[in-house]
Amino acid sequence: MANSFFPYAYTKEVLPNGLTIFVIPMESPGLVAYYSIVRTGSRDEYEPGKSGFAHFFEHMMFRGTEKYPGPVYDSLMTDIGADANAYTTDDYTAYHLNFAKDDLEKVIELESDRFQNLSYAERDFQTEAGAVYGEYRKSITSPFALLNEKMQDVAYDMHTYKHTTIGFEADIKKMPEGYAYSKSFYQRYYRPENVVLVIAGDIAVQGTLALVRTYYGGWTKGYVPPTINAEPPQTGERSAGVTYPGRTLPVLDIAYKGDRFNPDNRTYVAALLLGDLAFGETSELYKKLYIQEQKVDILDASIPVKRDTPLFEIVARVKKEADLDAVREAVYATLLQYQTTLVNARRLEDLKRRQRYQFLMNLDTPDRVAGGLARFVAITGGIEIVEKLYAAIDAVTLEDIRTAATRYFVPEGRTVVVLKGSLQ
Amino acid sequence: MKAMLALCLVLFLIPAAMMGGQPVDTRAFVQLPVKNDPTIAFRLWFKVGSQNDPKGKEGLASLTGQMLADASTTHNTYAQVIDRLYPLAAGYTASVSTEMTIISGRVHKDNLAAYYPLLMDAVLAPAFLQEDLDRIKSQALNNLETTLRYASDEELGKAVLYNEVYAGTPYGHIVAGTVEGVKSITLDDVKAFYKTHYTRENVVPGIGGGFDQELIDRLARDLSALPAGSPAAVPVAEPRTIEGFRVTIVDKDAPATAISMGFPMNVLRGSREWYALAIANSWLGEHRNASSHLYQVIREERGLNYGDYSYIEHFPRGGFAQMPPQNAARRKQIFEIWIRPVPREAGYFALRAALREFNHLVEHGLSESEFALTRSFLRNYVLHYAPTTMQRLGYALDDRFYGINGSHLETFRKMMGEITRDEVNASIRKHWQFGNMHIAVITRNGAGFRDALVAGTPSPITYKTAKPESVLNVDKQIEVFPVPVKRENVKVVPVGEVLQR
Repeated sequence: MANSFFPYAYTKEVLPNGLTIFVIPMESPGLVAYYSIVRTGSRDEYEPGKSGFAHFFEHMMFRGTEKYPGPVYDSLMTDIGADANAYTTDDYTAYHLNFAKDDLEKVIELESDRFQNLSYAERDFQTEAGAVYGEYRKSITSPFALLNEKMQDVAYDMHTYKHTTIGFEADIKKMPEGYAYSKSFYQRYYRPENVVLVIAGDIAVQGTLALVRTYYGGWTKGYVPPTINAEPPQTGERSAGVTYPGRTLPVLDIAYKGDRFNPDNRTYVAALLLGDLAFGETSELYKKLYIQEQKVDILDASIPVKRDTPLFEIVARVKKEADLDAVREAVYATLLQYQTTLVNARRLEDLKRRQRYQFLMNLDTPDRVAGGLARFVAITGGIEIVEKLYAAIDAVTLEDIRTAATRYFVPEGRTVVVLKGSLQ
Repeated sequence: MKAMLALCLVLFLIPAAMMGGQPVDTRAFVQLPVKNDPTIAFRLWFKVGSQNDPKGKEGLASLTGQMLADASTTHNTYAQVIDRLYPLAAGYTASVSTEMTIISGRVHKDNLAAYYPLLMDAVLAPAFLQEDLDRIKSQALNNLETTLRYASDEELGKAVLYNEVYAGTPYGHIVAGTVEGVKSITLDDVKAFYKTHYTRENVVPGIGGGFDQELIDRLARDLSALPAGSPAAVPVAEPRTIEGFRVTIVDKDAPATAISMGFPMNVLRGSREWYALAIANSWLGEHRNASSHLYQVIREERGLNYGDYSYIEHFPRGGFAQMPPQNAARRKQIFEIWIRPVPREAGYFALRAALREFNHLVEHGLSESEFALTRSFLRNYVLHYAPTTMQRLGYALDDRFYGINGSHLETFRKMMGEITRDEVNASIRKHWQFGNMHIAVITRNGAGFRDALVAGTPSPITYKTAKPESVLNVDKQIEVFPVPVKRENVKVVPVGEVLQR
């Protein structure tokens, strides 16, 4: 399939069991990237007490099958020198490998096996829970981990975005008790209709597809969608504070409810650009607060690409606590300015140009191609949306930017969290 | 517009030529052409690093690098630099390590004409303004005083280890410097440092991707406008001999215990022994990989933490990178074991577990199957070390640093077909030893940890969940594994004092 924007031709196939495969041949010296994208993440943890489970389960996927128990799987991966890992986000879980092209069939066999036949003992499950707790411990020393945890908890009432991907500490502590639940999690979510393969690199299309059909063809359907509550519209401003145990510069996090990812929604697409225009490094506010007055050492704003209602967040790390209020007022004044005044046309064009080149320049290895597409695949089930998104970005007008600012930046949809250190 | 840019380029070139400097010899360039690459990667290597920091000015090399890459030039204010780079989707950064400084950037061919003068300005025409230094210094201090001391115990553990192993040598402080060093740095210090070290005799330009000869020639001419001079070479760091276990415990209200340990190493990449040790090290602790034996013992079997690894080369920012860094090359290396944070009650146990495995390796070497599997692993795994042109260019510069003819990565793969198990085990016996090592521990109740270490108190752990008998049996040996530590060889330092001077 030829494209106007995405620079590589690709082939898509959907197996009768619902598994979707994208094969993207590209120049690379004998290397292949193989992404298995499960369209389940911490967003799907709707049962009480199960926050963090999608991530925990990602760890369990390395514990093996009857045919290839964990140590055997590890040793086979070691033998072929694969760079194999996985990560979990709010909206999806990705298992990714980079390896030499001669090992393609071995990888397809091993990957298809663990997605269909995962098998682990309760004891191994409990041990892995310890590793997950270890991951929590090494992460939570960052002030931003604490801040995010608080922001999500305060900003959301009903939706599962209320908790972070790693989960609440209390739930992580209880993970060893969840063996039976983990089996149900696998049965419900690790199903072909809920998984997309993206295979990029030094590969032949038909040969690759034939192998995928052989090894994944017998995987049975059975995806059970979770019950995710919609987040009701926010009707009043919220605020909270959080204390970091240690020393940190104070951080101001101002969030507004936005829209889910949808390239047909002009306001949303404009909002994708708005954060950079209003708070990015070429913005007036950045120049004032970061370069001239040097009141902040971090100023950043963006709306993420998400399956459900995201937060448009503006984050400022302030050098002196006494400046917190002034920085907050300066942010609000900027928001007001974008609601009342059209942005400079040249700046909008510069940003569109930057986005195009950034996207293209990042597509230089199979891993970056497959990895860069993962979130779009997870949210929409395919990669076709990339064309649509960049066409929509190209079409954003000055008026669209103002509309997005007016729609999003309303005080009743705002949540403000301030993080301060316990030590000065 | 294109005509205007071309004119700007010509105007910019004249002053460089008028200064009369000889063009930098293009034979000194490291070139990595990639035919169909639509981008061009620049890596300008200046032979300077934190080892060149004057005493009392620790952090100067790092700050000077940033004063080139994140600050105003004589032609553009910092804000204007950002504005101009922005639509090009390109930028440049300074990366400073112990012995190397790299000014690097990558640009799409379409944007080269507008980008190139900005990159040259950064290197040739820094403005060195006080307001830029104020901003950069304040960030550097925040990094030392809050981020390193409070927000990442594992990076702090590594920093303490690196400083201790090479204490008293030019390697004896991390690149970020010290709090007092950074505070004392003035604009005059930065200017003098630049004039001494950013010279045309001290630069090795690296270029990769879709460039042409014209660009090489232009770069050679333009870099001739750098100051002249060959800075005095820094003597090779000679660390003091470590006798016994030396321990530095950073006492802080940490939620968990982070441990790093190691000793100096004299084997450099390029030598056959290095590749032999690479096999042993990969088996013991391949970075961020489940094939690591330490990972298997501490994380996979016991669930004590997120990962456990080992290194035969300095590996800055280990907590953030999946693959080894480029351009952190050094003439003296370090062997390091890294234990990611473990629950406090398991800190001593994890330390013993790692040392017991290391001791076993030193005493017995690799078995035939361990050797064969690891060699097979590395032959392909090194392919992932540098998938991009920018990364391969970094390796090519490192090859120049180490004096490697050809390519280290290719040699690495080739050596995996040549090196024998006997060579690996001989290299282990020759270069590794158990018993003389520095240990850095970040933990709560540092005095308690010290007392237990000195007394050699058994450190049994209990699991919340069932473990196989085989694991519990080994635990009985781990919990009493001897790590002889003398009281006078243990320092307990409050976190507020670490990295201070």
